[in-house]
This record gives sequence, structure tokens and C-alpha cells, in this order.
Amino acid sequence: MIERIRSALERCGISLWRINERLDETTELFFVKKRLDTRRTKDVRKYEVTVFRDVETGEGGGPARGFTSVPILPSMDDRQLDEELKGAYYAAQFAANPYYDLADPVQAPLVEEAGELAQAPLAQSAGKMARALFAPDTRADAFVNSAELFVWRVRRHILSSEGTDVSFVNSGVDGEFVVQCREPEDVEIHNQFEYTALDGAALTARVAEALDFVRDRARARRILKSGKYDLVLSGNAVAEVLSYYHQRSSASAVYAKYSTWQQGEDVQGETGGERLSLTLRAFHPYSVEGIPTMDALPLLESGKLLTWHGPNRFCRYLGIRPTGNYQKIVCSNGAVPFAELKKAPCLWAVTFSDFQMDAMSGHFGGEIRLAYLIEEDGTVTPVTGGSVNGSILEAQKNLTFSAERYVTARYDGPYGVRLRDVSVAGE
Amino acid sequence: MFEIIDRVKPGLQKLIAALRETYPYASVLAVADDSRSWSISSGGINISASGRGGGTGYVVRVFDGTGCAEYSFNEFSEERIPAVRETLARRLAEQGEALEGFAPLPTPVPADEPAVLKKESAGLVHPRELGDEAVVKKLTALRQKALGMDKRILDAQAAVSYRSCRKLFLSENRDLDQTLMWTTASVVAMASRGQEIKIAYHPFSVLGGAELLDEMDAGVEGVVHDALELLESRPIVPGEYECVCDPEVTGMIVHEAFGHGVEMDMFVKDRAQAREFIGRYVASPLVTMHDGSAVDEAATMFFDDEGTLAGDTVIIDKGVLRTGICDALSAARLGVAPTGNGRRESYERKAYTRMTNTYFQGGDSSRSEMIASVKDGFLLEAPSSGMEDPKNWGIQCMVTTAREIRDGKLTGKLFSPIVLTGYVPDLLKSVTMMSKAPELCGSGFCGKGYKEWVKVSDGGPCMKARIRLG
Repeated sequence: MIERIRSALERCGISLWRINERLDETTELFFVKKRLDTRRTKDVRKYEVTVFRDVETGEGGGPARGFTSVPILPSMDDRQLDEELKGAYYAAQFAANPYYDLADPVQAPLVEEAGELAQAPLAQSAGKMARALFAPDTRADAFVNSAELFVWRVRRHILSSEGTDVSFVNSGVDGEFVVQCREPEDVEIHNQFEYTALDGAALTARVAEALDFVRDRARARRILKSGKYDLVLSGNAVAEVLSYYHQRSSASAVYAKYSTWQQGEDVQGETGGERLSLTLRAFHPYSVEGIPTMDALPLLESGKLLTWHGPNRFCRYLGIRPTGNYQKIVCSNGAVPFAELKKAPCLWAVTFSDFQMDAMSGHFGGEIRLAYLIEEDGTVTPVTGGSVNGSILEAQKNLTFSAERYVTARYDGPYGVRLRDVSVAGE
Repeated sequence: MFEIIDRVKPGLQKLIAALRETYPYASVLAVADDSRSWSISSGGINISASGRGGGTGYVVRVFDGTGCAEYSFNEFSEERIPAVRETLARRLAEQGEALEGFAPLPTPVPADEPAVLKKESAGLVHPRELGDEAVVKKLTALRQKALGMDKRILDAQAAVSYRSCRKLFLSENRDLDQTLMWTTASVVAMASRGQEIKIAYHPFSVLGGAELLDEMDAGVEGVVHDALELLESRPIVPGEYECVCDPEVTGMIVHEAFGHGVEMDMFVKDRAQAREFIGRYVASPLVTMHDGSAVDEAATMFFDDEGTLAGDTVIIDKGVLRTGICDALSAARLGVAPTGNGRRESYERKAYTRMTNTYFQGGDSSRSEMIASVKDGFLLEAPSSGMEDPKNWGIQCMVTTAREIRDGKLTGKLFSPIVLTGYVPDLLKSVTMMSKAPELCGSGFCGKGYKEWVKVSDGGPCMKARIRLG
């Protein structure tokens, strides 16, 4: 198919292009309690062609380059293929942006991951993870209500008119599970997971912890009063808070002036707490544009921004080496034991209905599904209801991280963070 | 366009016949997809035909000794029928071996009542016919107008996208064929206060095509005004207030707070409190709630992704919860009729119970009467996000703007951002006024949890209720 696309590009007189081929294979399992609801599997091969077109004058009068992307189906005959590509090439002249060089060419042999998940049949891996998920589901007071498990393997091939020809295969397992406790109040907690290795032990630990949390949510009280709290966040909520720094440092945000952050700038500002040190990691050895990604891209060192990051066009505009896309945040902070981090008085918010960071405004928040109100006299009360409404612009002045670590596909860093004086709307 | 469906149909019918030799039930959904999006901002102009609809492909559903199983693929011809059969059988055997010890969830084979349908819903002006140049020119003009209105505007964005698709559902007894198109658009204005960027957003949607672009001019002034107003906003003092919700906020409450709770696949899992409330008052008698395709909006369809004909479901009738909405598998398990709400993100994903066009009926008050009736409260506008809690009927909805109302008048003071919390029936029972005409908008997508995005619309009239704000 790739040769057919290349021939069509030549026939259509398109000299600047990129082809992305993607082949997905999955095994998907859906459970209601421990019973199999639905089984799914898929084999999908997709082609996306991006065509670039240079025009004499773009917006602002300078040299300009536009691009559009179209999906190509193997079922298309040559006439349809030509029509799609000509249509995309025609459209590209109207998407003219200031000129930039395309991604530098890279040729490399196929990159394949090692490890059991990469090598084993998908169904076999799915079976192992399903058993890991349900392993802790043996308690009388709480149980797994339902679960979804996706095991996937994706092969990607990227070619460009500049000479790029790289390919790689990666695998993963992700999904979600809901835990439920019926007494004294019938409640549930929704959980997501995502791993790049066949880490059954991590999933088992995650489910066991969730069962503890839902048991506590069932006896949680709606007694939270509105006010300012020292707020302790843990697990995925810590990663969500730190996503602010990932998004604000992106080349696309800086170029569009949505972010004023400069490389070398102290973006954390004056602080009485820990100075942030963050590194980015990529999921893939090459970005969608075929840019080789580094094992680790240092982002912040003691609160100072080390680099912008992002796709080819915006990095070129900013005059930096294109980095490609990095999806995982690694945070090297954290020295305080979690038990000490949540010393009284504080509110440890464990689960939310949907905890979100708005990187544009810096606001973070969500409705509390379970929190522990930890008071000076040593009382620890599970509470539910109410909502957090904080600002990272204030919170970053006093951050304390736990020594304990938490690792997922998208985050590797402290399990917990303590934020001072965060607004909480109570019952 | 979409001739591929006509080309593969005879082969797909043979595939169904071949699969029926092995399985007691077999069906296939074929999807042919055409989508395009245009956007302009300070980041540049973008045109893309990738990513909106989910693509062109096929999903086969069969029932075997274990239950329901599906296989998604996107390369098909009559010659590939043996390969599809063999792959499906082999994968199911591999899964069966790996999952030894896990019992199946008992599921009756869904009814396969005979039905034949071929319908089309197309826009007045196909965006492809209007052309890329005209669309980009229009969006550029809108952006320039917004930027020219005030120097404090950091950026303005204008975007439009459409999805046109043809879906063919075949089983032994059903032959359903529909072609649909929706178009959505938005105008966004951004203004900054130091490191904090305030964003105002005006969405547009239609079951149709590029005729929507003509409506966008009307949104520019308002969105610039809103963004500048947000610069002066402050955090709200948490508490329970009398609130007037604009139709978009009403729509978010309809969809997030209540709609997800009546998705009946949640009944199967014992995840929805609503199951225990069928036939009981869950809302004020002013509240009547619908879901379905009785209205023309972005989620209107003639049949769902499991081959169930679409309709109009009255979920709440004058405050009483009458029924939920249901996909075919859940209906078979619950022993009820499906309501045409089995929807997939794409042919690559599982079908779940999903909303379509979901809204509250209108009442007999007016917006101005509602505001005049508020002693100390807020006018809520511009919903930004929401999350369901079917088990516990907890509300989490975010809105961008709360305008203060004192003694029946808007004071001009603005609070942002706002989190709505509380217990859904408490909120719905506190509804005391509804304005006359419901307004729906289908600019967004709805997720199930954090994934499975499908096009929906929601809305209602302006609604007055007591709501906890934070």
C-alpha cells in the first residue's frame, strides 16, 4: 500500500509529504463482577498522508507552508487515491502558515520492545492481567463491580519526502475498574490504569488499595466545612497537578503566546516549599513526525524551565531543536515520608469524581468522592462531598512531596503532595 | 460518496450467512466516514480530514457458547470471508484458553426482528462543496473581528468541523442503511490576567452542513465581551444559592447529573441508583426529560450501532422517573425493549448505552421573570465540564460564569470558575421555574467514564433551582 501511495503522490506532483502507517491489534475483555460480559478483538490497518504545499505569500506576506492530513483506505482504487491526495494538496494552500523546515530525515531499523508484554500473545497477557485484577477481590466488605481490560500492540511506520523511514512496535495494557461497597452506604469508586509492562503486581496493589478506599467511602460522612485546608493529593491527582508545567512549557503554547515562559526562567517563582525538578519521557522512540525522542528530556530544574518541547513546526518557529512529543512526567522531588506528609491538620483527598487541572487558568479542582479529614487531636474521619477549587499559581509557593513513589504509564514521581491553604467548598 | 458500502454489501451479507453456520447470531455494522475540520488561531491555520469520525471499517458481532463477542477490522472483500471467520474463531479460542475459570455473564441472544430501512439526513450546503478557501476565509474574518474589538484580547480562535457518515447494519433479518451529517463550530476569545488566561467560548451545532457558518457572526461580540468580563471575576463564597441556569447549563445538568444515571447498562452492573426510583418522583413536576431523535440535532439518527431503530424516550414525566435508555445487550439481560441507544465511538469500539439528544421540556416562565424572582443568587452560564455519578447521584459540573443577582437584578459582579455539587434529586426537586422553549446544542462529545467519545447534544430551557456552588 505504501508503494501505491508513493506512486500516487508522484502522479499528483506532490513533492513534500509524510506517510503514517499504523497497524493495531487488540484483545479487549469486559467484566461484570467476575463474569465475562463481552470479548472483543481487532485488526485495523490505517494510513494517514500529510501533504505540504509552499505558497508565495502567506498571512503576513512572507513565505508560507501549509499542510493537510487525510486518511487513505487500502480499498481505494487509484482514481480515488489520486482524488483524495489532490484534494488535500489543494486545501493545503489555504492552511498556509509561516514557513518552516520539515522534520530532519532519519532512517533506522525497526525498534521492538523487549519484555513479556511485547512478546506474548495478547490473549495470554489479557488472561494474566485479568487474574491480577481480580486477585484481591476476595473480601466480604468490598468487591470489584466491573472491569474493562485492553491489551494492545501497535506497529507504526513513518516515511517522509525528506527521507525519513522509521518503524517501531509498542504494546500496552490499560483499562478501568469500579469497586463497590454496599454497607453502610452503597457506594462505588471508578479507577483507571495504564501500564507499558505486564505489571500484574502493580495492578493487584492498585485494586487492593481501591477496595480499602471504597470501604472507607461507604462510611464517609458529609461533614466537610467550607474553608481553607492544607490539602494532600495522592496518586493520579499529583500527576494531574504537575501537567500544568508540561502544558505551559509546550512550544505550541509559547508560540501562540498562551504561555510567557522563557527557557531559563524561574517559572515556579518565590517559594517556601520544594523547588520542582521535572523530566519528560516519550512513549515512543519517534514522534508522529518521525522525530527521534530522547530517553529523558529535562524540563524543570529547581523551578527553572530548561526547555520548551513539542512538534516540529512550533519548535522551528521558536528556534529550538524539534523535540517531538513527550507524554510522561517524571518528578524527582520528594523526601518526606507520606505518613509525615499527611500530619494533622490536613485534608487528604483520595478520590474525586473528575479531578482536573486547567493549564490555561492554573485552576485545579473536582468533587470529592473520598477524603480523610485529619485533625490535630489525631482523629481521622473519612468524608465525602464538597469540592476542591485551587490555583497552582498560589499552591506552587509551598509544595511538599512524599518520598514514596507512584508509577504509571504517564507518571513516575512522588505518591503524594501537600498544598497549603487550598479552598474547599464543604457541605 | 460512500459507494464503498454498496460495493461491500453483497460480501457482508455472505459473511453473515457464513458466520451463522457457526454462531446462533451474527451481525455486522459497516461504517463509511467523511470528516474535515478547519481552525484558525495564533498557532496558525489547520485543515485536517483525520480524526473526527473514527474512520471507515467493520465490526462483526456473534454469540457463541460463552456469550457476546466482536471483531473489528477495516479491510474487507468477499475473498476475505474465510479469513475473517478463521481469525474470529482462533481469537475466541485463545481468549477462552487464557480465561479458563471466568464464567460468562448470562445473556440471551438479542431479538432479530425483521426490519428494512434506508434514510438520509443531509445538510443544505455540504462543507466540501463550499470549499476550503471559503471556509478559511470565513473563519479568518471572524477571528479578525474578535481581535479587532479590544486590545486586551490575547487570541481569538474560530473553528468548524463536520462529520458525514453512512452506516449499514446487516443481520439475518435486518437491513438498515442511514447517511447522516452534523456540523459544529466555535468562536473562542482569550484574555490574560498575568499568568492566568480567561477563556470565553460560544458553540454552534446543526444536523446539517455549512449553513451553520452563517450563525457564527452573532457569537463574536458576546464571546469577546465575556472574556473581558472574566478578567474581573473573583472566586465565589461557597454555599447553596438560588440559581437561574441558562439553557446550556440546564443541558449539562440534564446530561451529566441525570442522563448518565439512566443508562441501563449501569442497571445491569448495579451501578445506577435510578433503577430503584422507576415510578417515583425524582424531580419537580415541572421537569419532563427526553432522549432520542424526535429533534433534529447533532446526535439525531435513524437507528443505533446495534441495529435498533431510534425513537423518543420520555425518561422523566412531570417529575416521575418512567424509564431509562438502553442498548440491545443490556435490554436482553434486563428483559426490556432496547431504546435505540447502543452507540459506539467508532467501529473499533464496543457499544454501550449512550445518550443522543437529551433535554428538558420547556415550561411557562421567562428568563426575565426568573431573574426578577431571585433575592440572592446567581445566573449560571457557560458550562465547561461535568462528570457522572450514576451510583450516588452526586453532581460535579463546572461552569465558567456565575453572575450575581440581588433583589431580582443582575449586579454586574462576576464569579469564576464555579463548581456545582450536591445530590441530583435534591437539585431537580428544587426546580421552581422553567422558561418556554428548550434550546439544544451538540457542539461537544460525551465520554463514558474517561473514554468512548460519541457526538451528543443536550439542552433545555432556562431553569431556576437551588444549587450548591463552590
